[in-house]
Amino acid sequence: MRAPAAGTRASILVWTVLTIAILSMLGAEVLRVVSIKHQNALQTATWQEALLAAESGIDLGIIELRKSLYPMPNHAWEGWNNTPADGVVSYGLSTIANAGLAGTPMTVEANVDAPNALIDPSNGWQYYRIRTVGTMPITGPARVTDNKQDSRLRKLSLRWERFTNGVLTPHALNDAPQVCRRAEAIVKPVSSFAQAAMSVGTMDLTNQNIVIDSYDSRDPNKSTNSLYDVTKRQGNGDIATDGNLIEAGNAHIYGDVATNSGTVSGVANITGIERTDFYQEPIPVGAPSWTAINGTVSSVTDTTTLNASATKGSSISRYELSTIALSGNKTLTLAGNVDGSRTYIEIYVTGDISVTGTSQIVLQEGVTATVYFAGNIDVSGNGILNTNNQPSDLQLYGIQPAPNASPHVSLGGNGQIVAAVYAPDHDVSINGGGTSGHVFGSVVGKTITMTGVTNLHYDEALGATGIINNYKIVSWFEDNR
Amino acid sequence: MHQRSKKRLSSDKAVAGFLLSEMMISTLIFASISLGLLMGFTALERNYSASSDFALNHADQMRISDYLALDLRRALALQAARNDTTIFIPNYYDASGNPQTPALDGNGGVYYGAAGSSVSIHYYLSGGTIYRQQNNGTPIALAVNVQDFIFDITDQGKVVSTRITFNPTFTSGRASADATAATAFYNVTLLRNTRTDNHVGVY
Repeated sequence: MRAPAAGTRASILVWTVLTIAILSMLGAEVLRVVSIKHQNALQTATWQEALLAAESGIDLGIIELRKSLYPMPNHAWEGWNNTPADGVVSYGLSTIANAGLAGTPMTVEANVDAPNALIDPSNGWQYYRIRTVGTMPITGPARVTDNKQDSRLRKLSLRWERFTNGVLTPHALNDAPQVCRRAEAIVKPVSSFAQAAMSVGTMDLTNQNIVIDSYDSRDPNKSTNSLYDVTKRQGNGDIATDGNLIEAGNAHIYGDVATNSGTVSGVANITGIERTDFYQEPIPVGAPSWTAINGTVSSVTDTTTLNASATKGSSISRYELSTIALSGNKTLTLAGNVDGSRTYIEIYVTGDISVTGTSQIVLQEGVTATVYFAGNIDVSGNGILNTNNQPSDLQLYGIQPAPNASPHVSLGGNGQIVAAVYAPDHDVSINGGGTSGHVFGSVVGKTITMTGVTNLHYDEALGATGIINNYKIVSWFEDNR
Repeated sequence: MHQRSKKRLSSDKAVAGFLLSEMMISTLIFASISLGLLMGFTALERNYSASSDFALNHADQMRISDYLALDLRRALALQAARNDTTIFIPNYYDASGNPQTPALDGNGGVYYGAAGSSVSIHYYLSGGTIYRQQNNGTPIALAVNVQDFIFDITDQGKVVSTRITFNPTFTSGRASADATAATAFYNVTLLRNTRTDNHVGVY
């Protein structure tokens, strides 16, 4: 056979080149499309991580706020700048570099301030605003995606920094593309009396067929003359434990029940929800650090009157007592104004409180008493008379004890107990008056045992009073300008 | 004569065509190569198309999912129905587009701008396309080739699960059922804001 002519060989070459060219173009197009989509997926992943960084900033702010609730020295805001802005408290956390897992070059910035507009006029509680920016560098070329809606959503900083007029410092790009996400959260204080009952460990309501519900002494639709009315019963009688066991004693609970990965036994009926993901570390109470007190009385062992004053926090109505030990028919009167107008008294008992026999602590009309105690409380009989019948008027706080100490609180004997007890380091037992035993208020203890109590009525007004135990987010917004 | 005849024969042979067998073999080879090339090009084109569609769909899925998650995270209230939902977010920006100072509502909540005000974000499906409309602004197409999208509200209204189903784009007759099934894209979002639910018929 003859060899092909020269023209034929050239034709084959052309065909070959043409084929390779077409294949190359196809391959290039596929590569272009895939690389754009790959870049888009990469930018999306980075954008998601930047949100984690921004939300980490919010978490950091809340952690510092919570630390500030602990007794001193609590080391809150260490490492933060404290530069008042707009005349209010403002804490700034400058860049935390490489904040991601395994040294991911994630940066977090946060600013916490306290605008005057965020002070609750009803109780003076300050809400805080936390603004954060999370930043992640973008790997790969500084190239926009092929869909403008992606660009509108993610707003990558490829050439210029997005945030140049915010509270936080603008970032210099330094020719490195990055993605920034900014979030703003408002956190509100949470009262130590946010539930009807909360224990760190076991909660035992014994087998009393107890009814737990709520009312709101501030709202005439939820109470009558600011008192509990069963016909206006509310469903916020929540009980919870940081432990894993609630012995509910055949309780009827008009509210939620929560444990920390535990179980609830003996619940006849729950109107709310039952959860197992509860966790709340109660803030311990530190000893008051008053600079001035009323030193006229140093202990109470006989019939005594302590006067309240119309000015909250006044030194003349602040008492530091070594003990309160009443027996027989002795009486401690916390006296207010004759007309029953609002007065305040604060008492710090460095030792024990004991009220036995027919002795009594009497809270006169109009008096709001805050009692801090470092030791034990043993009150029997009709040991405490809260004339106002408002649990917010008698708040009992257990001071954080020394390590290995196991103090207790024992309140009991009354047909009714009207008080709010916050003693997260004390074993709390409340002994009601048998079938007519009612507790109005809220109880927080290391453990809680209720005996002879058939009704626990939580006053929702307590949720806006007492010491602050936590902060929770009430508003969250991502600023995606 | 014999010499002349032989010479002519030689000359004829020089200009003669291929033998039939040569033609058949070469045609067969050419046809085989052409068929291979054709199949190769077709496969490449299909592959390119499938890859492109996959990438396009995936980008659409990520986009709509991220838009929804962004708005759900900052939602105050939510009206959710199949293929139609309205999310109400805080009225964070003023008329100039700058952030507003927050204020307390007296019930433990916070608002921006006028008390009770909010911005509505309307997501709806029309002609296989999901649109996003903010207040009464111009709807923006976010994703195409969508079959439906639905919401599932769980955990006392605090968690929203979104399922967006995209129509199948890979429709080869020889592909498996799994390969040609519709693609569902899931997204679970925790609602951060305290719910106001001051709108009728919301979760």
